[in-house]
Amino acid sequence: MKQKNNGLASVQRAALGPYGVWALLFIVVPLIFVAYYAFTDNSFRFTTENMTRFFTARSANGTYTYLLIFWRSLKLAVISTIICLLMGYPVAYILSRASARTQKILITLIMIPMWMNFLIRTYAWMTILQDTGILNSLLRTLGLGPLHMIGTEGAVVVGMVYDYFPYMILPIYSVMAKMDLKLEEAARDLGCNSWGVLRRVIFPLSLPGVISGITMVLIPSISTFYISQKLGNGKFYLIGDAIEGQYVANNLHFAAAIAFILMVILLAGMALMQRYANRKAYV
Amino acid sequence: MRKIIELKNITKSFDGEVVLDNISLDIYDNEFMTLLGPSGCGKTTTLRIIAGFEQPDQGEVYFLGEDIAALPPHKRNVNTVFQRYALFPHLNVFENIAFPLREKKVGNAEIQEKVTEMLKLVALTGFEKRSVTSLSGGQQQRVAIARALVSKPKVLLLDEPLAALDLKLRKDMQQELKNIQKATGITFVFVTHDQEEALSMSDTVVVMSEGRIQQIGTPIDIYNEPQNAFVADFIGESNIVNGVMLEDRKVRFSGHVFDCVDIGFGKNEAVDVVIRPEDVDIVPEEKGMLKGTVTSVTFLGVHYEIIVDINGFKWMIQTTDFVDVDERIGIYLEPDAIHIMKKSEYSGMFGDYSSFSNEFDELSDAEAAAEAEEEE
Amino acid sequence: MKPMAKFYTALIMLFLFAPIAILLVFSFNEAKSLSVFSGGSLYWYRELFRDAETLGAVRNTLILAFSASILSTIMGTAAAVGIHRLRSKAMRAAMDTVTNIPMINPDIITGISLMLMFVFVGRLFGAATSLNFWTMLIAHITFCLPYVILQVLPKLQQMDRSLPEAAMDLGCTPVRAFLKVEIPEIMPGIITGLIMAFTLSLDDFVISYFTAGNGFQTLPIRIYNMTKKTVTPKMYALSTIIFFTILALLIMTNLIDTGPGVERPAKDKPERPAARKKARRIALGIGTVLAVGMIAVMVIAAPKKPVLNVYNWGEYISDGSEDSFDTIKGFEEWYLENYGHEVEVNYTTFASNEDMYAKLSSGAVSYDVIVPSDYMIQRMKDEGMLLELNFDNIPNYQYIGESFRGMYYDPDELYTVPYTYNFVGIIWDAEQVDEEDIGDWDLMWNEKYAGDILQFNNSRDAFATAQYKLGLDVNSDNPQEWQAALGELKRQQPLVKSYVMDEVYNMMESGEAAICAYYAGDYFTMLDAAADSVDLQFYTPERTNYFVDAMCIPSCCQNKELAEIFINYMLEKEPAVANAEYICYGCPNSLVYEDEDYAEEMGEEAMEILYPDIERFGELYEAYAYRNLSTEMLDTINTLWEELKIN
Repeated sequence: MKQKNNGLASVQRAALGPYGVWALLFIVVPLIFVAYYAFTDNSFRFTTENMTRFFTARSANGTYTYLLIFWRSLKLAVISTIICLLMGYPVAYILSRASARTQKILITLIMIPMWMNFLIRTYAWMTILQDTGILNSLLRTLGLGPLHMIGTEGAVVVGMVYDYFPYMILPIYSVMAKMDLKLEEAARDLGCNSWGVLRRVIFPLSLPGVISGITMVLIPSISTFYISQKLGNGKFYLIGDAIEGQYVANNLHFAAAIAFILMVILLAGMALMQRYANRKAYV
Repeated sequence: MRKIIELKNITKSFDGEVVLDNISLDIYDNEFMTLLGPSGCGKTTTLRIIAGFEQPDQGEVYFLGEDIAALPPHKRNVNTVFQRYALFPHLNVFENIAFPLREKKVGNAEIQEKVTEMLKLVALTGFEKRSVTSLSGGQQQRVAIARALVSKPKVLLLDEPLAALDLKLRKDMQQELKNIQKATGITFVFVTHDQEEALSMSDTVVVMSEGRIQQIGTPIDIYNEPQNAFVADFIGESNIVNGVMLEDRKVRFSGHVFDCVDIGFGKNEAVDVVIRPEDVDIVPEEKGMLKGTVTSVTFLGVHYEIIVDINGFKWMIQTTDFVDVDERIGIYLEPDAIHIMKKSEYSGMFGDYSSFSNEFDELSDAEAAAEAEEEE
Repeated sequence: MKPMAKFYTALIMLFLFAPIAILLVFSFNEAKSLSVFSGGSLYWYRELFRDAETLGAVRNTLILAFSASILSTIMGTAAAVGIHRLRSKAMRAAMDTVTNIPMINPDIITGISLMLMFVFVGRLFGAATSLNFWTMLIAHITFCLPYVILQVLPKLQQMDRSLPEAAMDLGCTPVRAFLKVEIPEIMPGIITGLIMAFTLSLDDFVISYFTAGNGFQTLPIRIYNMTKKTVTPKMYALSTIIFFTILALLIMTNLIDTGPGVERPAKDKPERPAARKKARRIALGIGTVLAVGMIAVMVIAAPKKPVLNVYNWGEYISDGSEDSFDTIKGFEEWYLENYGHEVEVNYTTFASNEDMYAKLSSGAVSYDVIVPSDYMIQRMKDEGMLLELNFDNIPNYQYIGESFRGMYYDPDELYTVPYTYNFVGIIWDAEQVDEEDIGDWDLMWNEKYAGDILQFNNSRDAFATAQYKLGLDVNSDNPQEWQAALGELKRQQPLVKSYVMDEVYNMMESGEAAICAYYAGDYFTMLDAAADSVDLQFYTPERTNYFVDAMCIPSCCQNKELAEIFINYMLEKEPAVANAEYICYGCPNSLVYEDEDYAEEMGEEAMEILYPDIERFGELYEAYAYRNLSTEMLDTINTLWEELKIN
């Protein structure tokens, strides 16, 4: 803390310069542009029409179009995130308690799919899930009826879970790997059973990892547009599809408005969660 | 003796908090000087100003008569041994020690020779290829010293280098540091909050508190002639009571007039009177100059430490005689056991053992040490 | 590990690797299908290496990933060092927030925000192209930066702060202290950051999609644009190669040092023997050389010869695959021969007319030749986005059949040279559909085949099927009529298995679905790859969508004469026949449709379907082709479409 003017510190603070300028130009200013487009019409005159449209547009049968789309995206993303968490948490735990060598190998294995192209991975899932697909062939050989999967909400969720699964495991694992093993022993010594150790010691301590895992899965799932097109058989129109659709239809201003609303909601949500996490994690 | 470093009227504050308040200090050639004080007293900051890691807000720093305020650390002929050694983990023992030489583009043969010499000095011959992370604390300490000495600086700065070692190792290293200082003839400026360490190693001790120097002197001066209540309390144990100097060699305190050896105070001047616990003799109650009741007795091996309530003021006495709790005793003080100090801002803050307990003392020591570490 | 843990881990691995196993297996498929395996072969690997466009996209992806990851690592490391030294709490909080934005923001928002800014700024400065390689690089660096910073910052925080001070104390200048002591300490963080940045950049589709521009196409974008035909096993072959490369690299790095991922606390880190350290240095060296080389190649290879930017549909040109003629290479050679100097064709693809229009109208890109469909030509012409052609440079225009001249979108034959024409028909699987049920559009509404019907996944084509069925005008500006069509589509919705674009190939070839409306030409592509258990048939309803795709020169063209020479070349017999055979659509070029070899190659059935009665084409086209609709109308349709899709 008490370092000042010793040359190094000031030289190093200067190293922040390029990034500072970069972040301003390419992170902050673009967001201002989103807001600018969201609140202007095609001739860049101020309007709140885009905003109003998002919240009030109704289809013939009276449902609020974009609110429904948003709700559906949120629902699928939350389901995917919960599944990722339930599936990933034990993996992270097993990993963090395995031998150093096993850890290294397993982490590598978990990361490999991330290097395969995202579009191609999703395509491969089509091959697996479709009615004449691999999984159904397998079920047929086992004498089980064909299961209709592709084009259901389930298939979209599978796609989301698959694509973002590693993002859930890695942050939880990295927190758990740093956890002192003696804490577990201490908890047992103080009378906790396995469930108690998990609930009262491991889980609270791993909360920062869980939070960042949830963030890293929820955000991309809520805004995806490729997975829903391919695995949802084009039947699940999500908020990402809406933005992309408006972009392709050259409605840049309305696309920006949807993006702006999504961004505001997500940032507010994240801020709330961060707050909750900070209180919970005793930081 | 030649002045190597001169600090003149140094003031330094961090975020509006004054850390050094008008400090002046001379450091001489071939001297083992210790900066002693509790955490937050400014001793480490003083060291960092000498090393060049901090710039004083006001005041000058002279090195052999030359103002070096603007000189960056790497150009100063002063090296530091850091508290947690700051060995470079990516380099082995040899390369750590050779680091400053390589920086100066010294030839390989000379590096070999100098590093070998240093390893011998710190008794680590044969450790050249070892990774520094595989060494014990004491060994790492030696590497750090060797690394700081290899380019023969005029002054070596040591920032609580022994704080992380265990007691036994610490005693050994104290001796060894002293030997190395003698052997090399380099000036050592040593920072510690451990008064025993300071007394046993130093030629000169500088006692600091709250950003000011309280006293500079030899260990014996500091112990025997503390200049104020803070020094008296910080160095060893002291009973400090309010007194009035009646005339030269006559002082009154605790309702009794004593003979003493101090002169030069004003008539009837209020003073602080310091009596070291080991200088108090226990006598039967009726023969005592002062009388009191024993409230606690602790056995410490060589002696007992007893607390005596004399007219409501708790005295600490170290004695080899055994007394019982609740026993009435008298005490006797030789004139040279009584040390008179001028009143200072610290008067009344120290020297009463009414809330004393050993555990408490240790606890606060440990806290101080922890704070000192955090401060770095 | 306990048995339970082992079993669970194995299950998870199965989940993670199942799709990858599929990729591996189908990359060796003999047939073109992605769902029916008909025997092992290396055919698709050979195809892959002949596909210059894909290889170019791979090269571009690598160039981009290398440059973005290296630059973001350098800047991110510097930033982390700076942030680490920040004393003001407010500044730190501000930096943390800004750094978090690209991570918390969905990719789609990051992509859109950068695109809006680039386009706006580009327009402000009147730049011909505001989206190009550099904007993509900026976008990639921007979203990689936070990940680098987040890897490096903790390493700095873990580092003993007195290390750099010790170095300075021992004679290092601040800069040298940083290089010699801090950098080695935070190296693991830097390397992990670099690997993460590289991975993210390599795999990014969404942000690239919005910021991609002129002629610089990455692999994910190329795959996305393959909607006109379909994703072929070639892409699986490519993925297989990528998989094994990554595997090899990971095994290597694991042998050399700790792999990517999260480091254990330093105390359990084993001592690194010198040999490994050396190996790591070598690996780093090779990586750096590779990267520098790539950038150098890119800079040097930056064309000094004239460049022609062509923007066409994905899979819409004969490209040398499957032993076909490589049109682009053919042109480059032909040009060199006839004009004595070299030319480079920069060929990029789009997925839809609207997609292309969005890019062009943003003013963000610049192309010399584009191939839009008729209604889009009308729109672009009306908006002044097309240039009149100089037919002196296109003498081969004489071969264009009379029926294809002077269409509504270009009545005076000023702007366009027809490239292909086609029409929508109904493809049905005779194994699943009774012959007596076929006829007209009713088949697509036949409840007997509920769950086996495919419908277009784009508004205009889907609405058109309903409009043709109901006998409505597909170009109506009466919202009531569109409402009626919507009603018809809603009625059909429960029967629809899937709304599709290129997925139609897979689903029809494998028998997954039984009925779809699609382009006549694509029917032949499906026939080629259909499984044995499938018997695909085709018929053309009375009223259906006839369309023409034509070559045009957009107003952003930089080299008009060269563009005209290219268009003329495309009408030469050899490339024209090759393209017609490759695309399988009807060709308006008499050199092609009157050619006997071509007719033989296509087969009798194909010739009958594609060229039923060329004389009548003009009439049918006039009656049923799409016209450009007003912006308000398009917006209405879009809203109706969204209404259909949310149900």
